[in-house]
Amino acid sequence: MSRINKPRIKHKHSRVNLSKPLNFTFDGKPYIGYQGDTLASALLANGIKVMARSFKYGRPRGIVGSWAEEPNCLVQIDMGAKTTPDLKATQVELYEGLVAGRTSGWPSLAFDLKSIGGHFSRFMPAGFYYKTFKWPAKFWPLYEHVIRKAAGYGASPIEADVETYDHKHHHTDVLVVGGGAAGLLAAQLSGQCGASVILLDDQSEMGGYLLSTPNTTIGGKNALEWRDSVITELQSLPNVQILTRTTAFGLHDMNMIQAVELLQDHLPHHQRNAIQRRERLHRIRANKVVLATGAFERPLVFGNNDVPGVMTVSALATYFNRYGVACGKHTLILTSNDSAYQAVADLAAGGVKVTLADVRDNINAEWDAHFKQLGIDVFTGFGISEVLGSNSVTGARLSKLHPTNPMENFEKDLLRRRVVNVRDISCDVIASSGGLSPTVHLFCHDGGRPTWSDESLAFVVSANGRANAGIYCVGAVTGEFQLQKGLEKTVQTTQEMLASLGKSATNTMALNTNEIAPNPTKAIFHIATSKKAFVDFQNDVAVTDIQLAVRENFKSIEHIKRYTALGFGTDQGKLSNVNGFAIAAEALGKTIPEVGTTTYRPAYTPVSFGALAGAHVAETFEPRRYTAMQASHEQFGAEYETVGNWMRPWYFPQNGEDMQAAVNRECLAARNGVAIMDASTLGKIDIQGKDVREFLNRVYSNSWSQLASGKCRYGLMLNEAGMVMDDGVTACITDTHFLMTTTTGGAANVLNWLEKWHQTEWTELEVYMTSVTDHWATASLVGPKSREVLAKLCSDIDLNKDAFKFMEWRDGTVAGVPARVFRISFSGELAYEINVDASYGNYVWQALMAAGKAFDITPYGTETMHVLRAEKGFIIVGQETDGSVTPLDLDMAWAVSLKKPFSFIGKRSLARSDTVRTDRKQLVGLLTEDPTIVLKEGAQIINSSNISPPVAMFGHVTSSYYSAFLGRSIALALVTDGFKRRENVESIFAYAEGKAIKAKIVSSVFVDAEGARHHG
Amino acid sequence: MFVITCPHCCEAREEEEFHYEGEAFIARPVDPEAESDEAWGDYLFTKKNPKGWHWEMWNHATGCRKILVLKRNTANHIIAGSWTLSDARKEYDNERATA
Amino acid sequence: MAKSLSNIELNLNQFSPIAQSALQHFNLSARQEKVSFEKGVWANETPPAGYIRLRGNAQNPVFLAATQAALGAHIPCLACTSIKTEFGSLYWLSIDEWLIVTSVESRATLQAKLEQSLTGIHSLVADQSGGMTTIKVLGKHAADALSHCTVYDLHALNMGKVVGTSFGKLSVFLCADHDGYRLLFRRSFADYIWRYLERAAEPYGFAIANLS
Repeated sequence: MSRINKPRIKHKHSRVNLSKPLNFTFDGKPYIGYQGDTLASALLANGIKVMARSFKYGRPRGIVGSWAEEPNCLVQIDMGAKTTPDLKATQVELYEGLVAGRTSGWPSLAFDLKSIGGHFSRFMPAGFYYKTFKWPAKFWPLYEHVIRKAAGYGASPIEADVETYDHKHHHTDVLVVGGGAAGLLAAQLSGQCGASVILLDDQSEMGGYLLSTPNTTIGGKNALEWRDSVITELQSLPNVQILTRTTAFGLHDMNMIQAVELLQDHLPHHQRNAIQRRERLHRIRANKVVLATGAFERPLVFGNNDVPGVMTVSALATYFNRYGVACGKHTLILTSNDSAYQAVADLAAGGVKVTLADVRDNINAEWDAHFKQLGIDVFTGFGISEVLGSNSVTGARLSKLHPTNPMENFEKDLLRRRVVNVRDISCDVIASSGGLSPTVHLFCHDGGRPTWSDESLAFVVSANGRANAGIYCVGAVTGEFQLQKGLEKTVQTTQEMLASLGKSATNTMALNTNEIAPNPTKAIFHIATSKKAFVDFQNDVAVTDIQLAVRENFKSIEHIKRYTALGFGTDQGKLSNVNGFAIAAEALGKTIPEVGTTTYRPAYTPVSFGALAGAHVAETFEPRRYTAMQASHEQFGAEYETVGNWMRPWYFPQNGEDMQAAVNRECLAARNGVAIMDASTLGKIDIQGKDVREFLNRVYSNSWSQLASGKCRYGLMLNEAGMVMDDGVTACITDTHFLMTTTTGGAANVLNWLEKWHQTEWTELEVYMTSVTDHWATASLVGPKSREVLAKLCSDIDLNKDAFKFMEWRDGTVAGVPARVFRISFSGELAYEINVDASYGNYVWQALMAAGKAFDITPYGTETMHVLRAEKGFIIVGQETDGSVTPLDLDMAWAVSLKKPFSFIGKRSLARSDTVRTDRKQLVGLLTEDPTIVLKEGAQIINSSNISPPVAMFGHVTSSYYSAFLGRSIALALVTDGFKRRENVESIFAYAEGKAIKAKIVSSVFVDAEGARHHG
Repeated sequence: MFVITCPHCCEAREEEEFHYEGEAFIARPVDPEAESDEAWGDYLFTKKNPKGWHWEMWNHATGCRKILVLKRNTANHIIAGSWTLSDARKEYDNERATA
Repeated sequence: MAKSLSNIELNLNQFSPIAQSALQHFNLSARQEKVSFEKGVWANETPPAGYIRLRGNAQNPVFLAATQAALGAHIPCLACTSIKTEFGSLYWLSIDEWLIVTSVESRATLQAKLEQSLTGIHSLVADQSGGMTTIKVLGKHAADALSHCTVYDLHALNMGKVVGTSFGKLSVFLCADHDGYRLLFRRSFADYIWRYLERAAEPYGFAIANLS
């Protein structure tokens, strides 16, 4: 047996290709690793020990784990727009040119300012931040800034992400989460009987822990051969989909599993494909879920257990067997169970000097003989009381453990009895195993709870405990830590699962392994020490912190967690939680199951915002609905406003105008000449049937019994609480056919509302409705000259003011296109709304522009529309109303017909004690004393300019504009007892942004109160 | 993220296709004007909101646009069934008669 | 294909109306290619069509008879089914709602026939020709691309089946043809749906199909 002399070894089962070296940098320094390495294995192979500084005390930290459980080594990968903070070095696949930075250590890894504070760590106990930085509250942002900088964690990218992401939806019979031995077997059995199967695993290749323990045999094959044979078969099955680098991070109701796949992060930049996504979020709806999520090894807790070079046994074995990295020349292994023994044997056989300490008094004879043969020193009944070394492990002090309570310090007792109790061992790596903690997270995301197993010394889930929900568990997650038994049970559970799908499977593979039957694990979680013993490395939570929390009377584990920060952080306590629960239980004098677990919530591991957003970014961030006239609007330089999902022209700045100048010009054109607006976005509902009138009578507050064909009426829609919910003009096409318009934003809501009443309450009414919003493109032609413009394009409608009156509609032809023309007005001017098949919308718009050229026709947007309607005192639902405003509050009693026989929606509520009050907030107009001042919308109405609190507020400004037509500002407001104040022309103040502006309460109609213009 | 079976489309569909429409079988009073303010207020605002089985309406918004009824357990999200409005009414009445 | 409308001088004495697709600005016809195996996903807008929304009580034999008289075919009454007829296609949308797709030229006649046949019968007939857009998606990865866009289980979409489901944050009617998929949706959704589909299809290789 040759002794190893450098970390990188040739290992026949290693997954690392030593013929493919890769250059990379860490913390600014260049290194070489190999294809197949993770950043962690490559750094370890380069002899790097200190890779991080701890969160609170700035203590040097090294790698502890080998995958998602790693608490210490968070790195910043890449730079600029592609940078990603806080990845675990253990999960970063190495590629040529990888740039990794540290995320902690301020000012440097070698020297962290906090480590000075660390010497005073007894002054920084649990709850330190809560206790210390509480006062004064206004200084918290300052404290926070400094604490955050000192604490570590990476930097968020400040440039926009240049990578892309997407979502994919799946529907499958069986989803197997985890591609270790049990998961592979479950997928194979499921695939063989024809079920659609998705098998996913978070690592770069399937195999799970088999990759770390190649000397194990299954059915006479070594673990890797067995794995290969199963994968080969799975790949040959068309009904099986295999996803690697895919982490299932959430299990939601009815077996909706979310999993994120890393598609390109493992590739060097020049090999990344620009049209491929960086990450893909899979949303998998599975009929049955098989959780084969395995387990993480939990370390034992002992003094100075955070010195770089202390890790878990499974991590040590993984680096050795999978990556061909010997983390040290002389390894000390401390264990409470037999699962560490294979690693001990593998390392010793591979040339590493190994010393074994087992906290148990006896060791399995078969293993003992094997260890003797390998020349391994074995100490039974010993634990590590303290690690020696500061920046890296130089040795350890072994202490004889108390025979009944290993967590108790009984050195004095032993000294008295002259027992050899302490041995100092020199070594450069220490690995410990306190048993396995099943990865129960997914099982618990939608309400499942793990149970404590005394036999497994772990929180476990049962194989079929949630079978009625379609969730089955196989392998180590069930607490079955022996491979052969685990595989045998996997067959059984998978068969049960498949039977529930009406399928049957027969296992034809030999599943016998070469495992040696293990002795029971000893229930030990921490070893007595006078040194700092860390439970949670990422949050610097020590045993004493948990004990202190209990002394301070925290009793619930959820509270202890939050007080100490146990299990917070990017690793979410994968290594630390169970130890923490056990230490809390001990301090509380309770059993572990009595203490229970904290709650496991998604996400299992951190998920990027990019993956969550998927396609919902940039052009496809939110739906943008466009009208048929969009090309014309673009041509005319529109600025847009989103209304609902519609992109509506807001205003059309010409020749460098600002918004106010454009709006002034547009308003004056509408009042004095002719202007044109795209009104296509208004909701349009076609309603047909013999009971349409009755239906309208019920859903609108006004009456529809008399409206004749060819005529239109404004309608006000209330909810059942009597509050205004929508409005619009509805036309009578025939006695059994009406066309309703709704607000742009309310269209979908109104159609659902009408359908709901029809389907649930008034099924007897013969009406059908359908949305024709998109069918009709609508141009509003507005202004004194609008008739002349329309006349140029329309010869088959008599446009004479007496032949085609206000609030009437006509069918005809506009610019050669069949059109329905409404003479309605939301501006108070003579106006026509021209509706055509949207395919011709842009053509007709252009025709109207051409016809209006001689009159300087002016396109206008929503802002001008708002000014024009406010000048007339017309409301906008959602601006003048907010769900607490009745028609009477709006002074719109004229739109409420209390005489209709059927009690229309909202009617009864108008008679409730609160709605009949005469001093409710009512809609009035406001004119500022200084006509140049435009009030802020949302300004509070107050009584005087004295704004020292308390100030009584009795209303607010709902709309406020500068009216170019009037040459002054105008506003609308909802004001308590407004109608009476209006009568008295009361003066009030509108307060916003530090200013109280004087105004008087007036009528809300500012222009043409008698309506001469729109009748013109 | 439920799976809801639409009794009209005769198929199990993802929750994204549906909108929640509130408690089922709140009948509108026949003569609202005859209701006291209190009774009318109850009709408007008082909902059962149980922990446990709940009869509720959903709208198959992207699909058939019909209202359907679910009996769903609000504590664990188990759906006992979904029906058309009229079929659900029978189930609901039966349940109340035998309760 | 429609001419561009920009800067045209309208003759106000003699009109020649021009119809435009909601996808006009993507200039699809100029970019289309012959469908091949080189790309995973192909799509294009189908030619303009006439769309009629029909509603009525499928339990009412009078309604069924009247529609059959007008259409010369039984409207599909099985959930989520569609049929092809002489004049085009008939899609089941709901228990009392159908979409009739026919040629632009025959839409008005067909609609008039329906309206006449259904006079006095509880029903609704509405022209939606201006308000609907149809995209055809095909290619060996068509289903993959669509699975990025919709929550519907595409395995369950047999030929001729039509379902109303999600597409991104909007909704579409999705139908399986013998050679791919058909998406029918509101005109104003077109820009978003096209962009969303194109983005989803990109990783599989995407091109604009010559559908003729």
